[in-house]
Amino acid sequence: MKLDFGFIWTAFIALLPAVPTALAITAVSVFCGLIIGTAVAVIRLYKVPVLYPIASAYVTVIRGTPMLTHLFIIYFGLPMLIDGATDSLGLSFRSVSIPMIGFAYISFSITAGAYMSEVVRSGLLAVNRGQIEAAYSIGMTTFQAMRRIILPQAFAASLPNLSNMVIGMLHGSTLAFTVSVVEINAKAQIVATTNWKFFEAYLAAALLFWGLTFLIERLTALAERRFNLYNRGGVS
Amino acid sequence: MIKLTQIRKSFGRNEVLKGIDLTVEKGEVVAILGPSGSGKTTLLRCINYLEKPNEGRIVIDDFSVQCRRPDKKAIHTLRQKTAMVFQQYNLFKHKTALENVMEGLFVVKKISKDEARIRSIELLEKVGLGNKLDSYPSELSGGQQQRVGIARALALNPEVILFDEPTSALDPELVGEVLAVIRKIAKEGITMIIVTHEMGFAQDVASHVVFMDEGVIVEQGKPNELFTSPKEERTKQFLKRITPEAAYSI
Ligand SMILES: Nc1ncnc2c1ncn2[C@@H]1O[C@H](COP(=O)(O)OP(=O)(O)OP(=O)(O)O)[C@@H](O)[C@H]1O
Ligand SMILES: [Mg+2]
Repeated sequence: MKLDFGFIWTAFIALLPAVPTALAITAVSVFCGLIIGTAVAVIRLYKVPVLYPIASAYVTVIRGTPMLTHLFIIYFGLPMLIDGATDSLGLSFRSVSIPMIGFAYISFSITAGAYMSEVVRSGLLAVNRGQIEAAYSIGMTTFQAMRRIILPQAFAASLPNLSNMVIGMLHGSTLAFTVSVVEINAKAQIVATTNWKFFEAYLAAALLFWGLTFLIERLTALAERRFNLYNRGGVS
Repeated sequence: MIKLTQIRKSFGRNEVLKGIDLTVEKGEVVAILGPSGSGKTTLLRCINYLEKPNEGRIVIDDFSVQCRRPDKKAIHTLRQKTAMVFQQYNLFKHKTALENVMEGLFVVKKISKDEARIRSIELLEKVGLGNKLDSYPSELSGGQQQRVGIARALALNPEVILFDEPTSALDPELVGEVLAVIRKIAKEGITMIIVTHEMGFAQDVASHVVFMDEGVIVEQGKPNELFTSPKEERTKQFLKRITPEAAYSI
């Protein structure tokens, strides 16, 4: 067998149009996951009544089941739910008008939220208790203390784990091909069907993923330098 | 005037404060002394409501909180009327010295950013840190951090500033600079309650000294009375253990 380097390059170029799809899935799931995860982490850490058991159940169920299963359950279950609801409300909306990628957005956000809650929780735990006490002592409300003092520090502390999450979700976005979303892997398969050079096509996909991951790592390093500016001294 | 009545606090079955009554007049500097574990920190934290007292009443001028069933708003008001200087400084790590002082003015008191900045710079100059405005806490020495902590407390213009062993985490050569700042603001007539083990300092700055042991106030009075002729046996023993030479460590 001979490797067709020329075709690796051709495939690489052909894969580029799928990059925005992969990045969109990653960005949406990480962003929504961060919001869900922050809420869940705060609820669990401060043992908010009523919501606390719900949040804990969410985390163990989602982390206890594969991401692909979430996708299938949302893909097959959500349309039934939506159509049932719109039917009984007499609305004309039908689930078929939801684009395929929408299912990936929803299901991966739910997946990311559960993992992200642990990322945020570890960040919150890294913030010294004295910080919130100092915030209270100058008369801040819990909300002000969270937003201005605790969360910014927790965010800085969770950057390394956060970058892990982003990389994980980027690679996880390949699962969207199972619901007919043409992301990078699916595109590689399509490219290869013209001449059956699957190996070259997937090598090109691997290169592309590696490049994107490298970019994420560099961006994290920059962000860490920016957000951890305050740790630069070393006196105390 | 600050008036504490029958403040009680338990952690589980361990009763740490067993009914504290204390009145502090405006402009008074009260030093609280006592052995480790006697409840000094807990008392200060109760006044700032960082710890919820089980029972008792806190009155500051015409504002009053019933500790057993306080409403959120009362706690918030109480915290605005009091300020705390922590043993471990607890400066906001991700904010510069200037931002640490501005934070309360800008976020809590809703003063405009420009005005808050001007006032904060004045305060940092007062504590001798006019040249460290843009330093992060990690770039400051312990003594400098604590002076920022004092400026942050002063900024809120509170009715009382609570100091919990403000110098005990400091290297001996840094203690002096912090005590000098406290001494300076004491002269300006700001009401202060200071928990300290610096006997010399307590003796010459405090206008009133309180000796606590096992969750009760054993004895209180003018500094020279309490230091030279304590009435209670427990006070005598405590003062004997802390030798005057060691106390004058400034
Ligand atoms: N959060 C807490 N949970 C349980 N027990 C506590 C808590 N905080 C304080 N205590 C207990 O309350 C008692 C009084 O503690 P406190 O810190 O008020 O003493 P202190 O007089 O400030 O002592 P020190 O001089 O060592 O600072 C101690 O027995 C301590 O173990
Ligand atoms: Mg203490």
